[in-house]
Amino acid sequence: MMLTIKDLHARVEDKIILKGLNLTVKPGEVHAIMGPNGAGKSTLGYVMSGRDGYELVSGSIEMNGEDLMEMDIEERAQQGLFLAFQYPVEIPGVSNMEFMKESVNAIRKARGEEALTAAEFLKIAKEACKQVNLPLDFLKRGVNEGFSGGEKKRNEIMQLILLKPKLVILDESDSGLDIDALKVVADGVNSQRDGKRSFIVVTHYQRLLDFIEPDYVHILADGKIVKSGGPELAKEVESTGYAWLGKPEEAGA
Amino acid sequence: MSDWLAQVIDRADAVANAQKDELASLRQNALAELKQQQWPTRRTEAWRYTSLHPLEDMTLPALSQDVPAVPEIDGVDSLDFVFVNGKLQGDMPKLPKGVSVGGLTDSAMQAAATEVFGTVKPRTHLFGLVNDVLATDGLVIDVAAGAKISQPLRILNFVSAGSETHHRVLVRIGDEASVSVIEHGAGSGASVNTAFAEYALGAKARLEHYRFALHGGDAIHIGGAHFSLGTEARLNSTLVGYGSQLSRLDYDVIHAGQHANAKLNAVYLLAPREHFDLHTNIEHAVPNGTTEENARGIIGDRARAVFNGRIHIHRDAQKTLAELNNRNLLLSRGGTISTKPELEIYADDVQCAHGATVAEIDDKALYYMLSRGIKREQALVMLNFGFIQELVAQMPNKALAKWLEPQLRDRFMLMDVRNGS
Amino acid sequence: MSEQIEKAIARKYDAGFVSEIESDTFPPGLDEDVIRRISEMKNEPEWMLEWRLQAFRSWLKMKEPDWAHLGYERIDYQSISYYSAPKSMKDKPKSLDEVDPELIRTYEKLGIPLHEQKMLAGVAVDAVFDSVSVVTTFRAKLEEAGVIFCPISEAIQKYPELVKKYLGSVVPRSDNFFAALNCAVFTDGSFVYIPKGVRCPMELSTYFRINELNTGQFERTLIIADEGSHVSYLEGCTAPQRDENQLHAAVVELVALDDAEIKYSTVQNWYPGDENGKGGIYNFVTKRGIAHKNSKISWTQVETGSAITWKYPSCILKGDNSVGEFYSVALTRGRQQADTGTKMIHLGKNTKSTIVSKGISAGNSSNAYRGLVKMGPGADGARNHTECDSLLIGDKCAAHTFPYIESSNPSAIVEHEATTSKVSDDQMFLCKQRGLDAEKAVSMIVNGFCKEVFKELPMEFAVEAGKLLEISLEGSVG
Repeated sequence: MMLTIKDLHARVEDKIILKGLNLTVKPGEVHAIMGPNGAGKSTLGYVMSGRDGYELVSGSIEMNGEDLMEMDIEERAQQGLFLAFQYPVEIPGVSNMEFMKESVNAIRKARGEEALTAAEFLKIAKEACKQVNLPLDFLKRGVNEGFSGGEKKRNEIMQLILLKPKLVILDESDSGLDIDALKVVADGVNSQRDGKRSFIVVTHYQRLLDFIEPDYVHILADGKIVKSGGPELAKEVESTGYAWLGKPEEAGA
Repeated sequence: MSDWLAQVIDRADAVANAQKDELASLRQNALAELKQQQWPTRRTEAWRYTSLHPLEDMTLPALSQDVPAVPEIDGVDSLDFVFVNGKLQGDMPKLPKGVSVGGLTDSAMQAAATEVFGTVKPRTHLFGLVNDVLATDGLVIDVAAGAKISQPLRILNFVSAGSETHHRVLVRIGDEASVSVIEHGAGSGASVNTAFAEYALGAKARLEHYRFALHGGDAIHIGGAHFSLGTEARLNSTLVGYGSQLSRLDYDVIHAGQHANAKLNAVYLLAPREHFDLHTNIEHAVPNGTTEENARGIIGDRARAVFNGRIHIHRDAQKTLAELNNRNLLLSRGGTISTKPELEIYADDVQCAHGATVAEIDDKALYYMLSRGIKREQALVMLNFGFIQELVAQMPNKALAKWLEPQLRDRFMLMDVRNGS
Repeated sequence: MSEQIEKAIARKYDAGFVSEIESDTFPPGLDEDVIRRISEMKNEPEWMLEWRLQAFRSWLKMKEPDWAHLGYERIDYQSISYYSAPKSMKDKPKSLDEVDPELIRTYEKLGIPLHEQKMLAGVAVDAVFDSVSVVTTFRAKLEEAGVIFCPISEAIQKYPELVKKYLGSVVPRSDNFFAALNCAVFTDGSFVYIPKGVRCPMELSTYFRINELNTGQFERTLIIADEGSHVSYLEGCTAPQRDENQLHAAVVELVALDDAEIKYSTVQNWYPGDENGKGGIYNFVTKRGIAHKNSKISWTQVETGSAITWKYPSCILKGDNSVGEFYSVALTRGRQQADTGTKMIHLGKNTKSTIVSKGISAGNSSNAYRGLVKMGPGADGARNHTECDSLLIGDKCAAHTFPYIESSNPSAIVEHEATTSKVSDDQMFLCKQRGLDAEKAVSMIVNGFCKEVFKELPMEFAVEAGKLLEISLEGSVG
């Protein structure tokens, strides 16, 4: 099993956000998680990746049979967990190229592979850059520094392509994108679907799922998965919204 | 020690003996501290660019009897307190409920006066101490908790040639109260005038504050406005300064309670030989405070502007947001600007920034405007006055802004026509 | 996360060893006799001694400055020894073969091989050990190009006219307390003269090493770039790890004549003291250059060492169209205190200056930028741009910014910007989510913060500076 989440409770500061979430993902599957604002969608990704302040209360998360919660953030990444951020942070002065080379080599090292030379890396970086339709000078620019919202999202997908993770969480990778940018992001993601790599696509809208077709769709509300189904469930949400959940949408994470 | 300070100390004893109010012991303390002070020289950091020679050399002429007219401002229905050479003119206006006002020595005001006197202003400022020991004229304003005073209180402080005055304003603003105070000082005859105001804001109190230091000529004006902000208090303050042979103002904002917000705007327009020195100091002593400060000046002819803006973030003041920006335009050879924005930061999780610029008139933009048929004078005003006007337009009291704006514009036009670079 | 960052910045000091070398060292104390003896040791002409004595007499009347944002015990100038030299240097070795091998080993240990064949190609080195210059490499090759690169003590003998003309011409003898002290007691340092129109064929570099206990180092550097010439110079400094504070008071003067260019880089790694503030070098340095018409002076400094740094490399932009630059990285940690910055004095027309200062404070340290930009009445069309950024690591350090701006010219433009930031949790999270450990993440973020300055260093030294920061981030994250 790629991912097994059992009865996950998690909190942010004093507030319990996830209240008994269960999810299993097999290799190669694409799961969409939809839900109203405040349901805990982003929290799931943060808890899985180990962000400070997102605390496990009870339950378990295993990836490939190993307990994720026992690992540091970077170990989880080295084990193949990749989170595409909704709001990627800027790191001034550190070039994208330098950053990704360090990252790729840290992960290769963990897998027992040789580090890539600068020339080898440059070659694959250029290809990835082209694949997400970013001009090559983005490799030289500071990490996310001065990038537009769409460029940041595409930069995340470029990293996804380079790092070759096992399990990918896309956290609202569609938010703030126009239709063309959305296609670029979706094409990038689809190119990485190889029957083994698994994806969790977190989104508010059905729109992204027109381009990245999920195997399963889950509705997350108030910290729990309240309904699961096939792609048709996403269409249902599209037409009816989340009002049927019977709760007003809350602002915030 | 200078002769000037020596005579202040001599007179202070006389004041102390004459005044048997509850401030007397505070004055005594101030006098003891004053006696410890060094007379500032150009080597004293806070006086690096401002010489006190004009004060030391001042011989006051006979007292002039001219009394300026109180400016009427359209749309501003203020409660006026008019001081001429330190003395309150006429009767107190009728006060709305929730605010009490009296003189420094009024027995009814002693509680508020003793609570505020010398507690907001830093203890080290020499002229603040001079004002402590000599000021018997002035006002104490006490705004009751929860009171919302809609009429602005306007304090006019006119000084004539030949006068020496030491004026003090003490304001206590209760929790959740709100009030607007306009301090308006003017006078350009040879005179010596210190004017310090202290404002203590309670929790969630709001103060809209204006200080118009519209002095000039041979007047010597040394003063300050000092604010202590309680939890979630809000201060919005605007300063307009003209400068004179020696003008020096010190502002202090102390974030004493968390989540307070201070907005400070200052503009100065100086010509022909005026000297204007503004020192501002923002003390973030507690977490979660916000400060936004903008000071902008235009310096023409042989005028000299000094700006020193300090932001001090104490060890505990995490999550502070503080920004300071100082912009200057120097219009003429012979004018000088000295500016020093300072940051002193002892907490890591803060966002602080400052910027300062000194820049010339943008020749290309000027040419562009002239080529579109705009008159030179008008073009200059549009190009350069704009950045002063921007701050004036931010004044919450729009009627006041409307009254001020044409005066500043006229002053600017005059500067430029006479001294265009 | 911030604890990890703090740990990551803790640092070993690699240059803290002591060399076992027999030295002739003056007993502690300072008076006119000591100065006469220094001058005698150096076999100086009378005019030089007189110059020193005059400086000493003005020093006696001066007060130690206290305006900097620094706190330290007053220095007892009578407890310092003002001269120390390896005994083996007494006979003035003629070639490297005659130099005490222990001295050569010391420099090798510091990564500065003195044998020309082992050296970085294209870098000539003057190695100064306590009060004397041990060796200057590649002199023959430089002489071919007409470049003079030698110890200043030798220049006083060999090129008295040049020394007389320029020594003290940029930093006057009584300029400030520490400069005056240096004038009185300076022992060695480097002298450089680049003739008209010559582009110096190699990087010049001086490596300063304090070894002896209780001595001060007072070096003096004078660089003259004649019309149309060009030189790039680098200095490095280290000292043993000792519990006592030691004083380093240097003076550097740069003269860039018309159309000349001087690039002066410093990688300062004096012993900073331990984490409780015991020991470390007190670094009080006066560095100033004068730029004549169309010339350029560029200061780049990477300051990671010293218990106290008091240093303001400055430019007097006297000639029209001259350019001044100051690029600085100052890293303080433990109990280090730095008060550093620059002065850009614009006198000529269309002069330009750029200031980029990056201060990083960690631990209980204090890091202040102090700068002056002055636009004189004749500085028509002059421009300055200043960028001053502070990075705070942990909640016990301090970062300060004291920029003085004075303008008396309506056509001059000055822009100053300062910001402060921390290594944010979000940045750390992103790096770690991409598989990087805390150490690597901090080092990458800090290096990124300093990038604008590092790119100004000569290539070899940019790598060295990066490593220096990297060493500082090595080995302590659990």
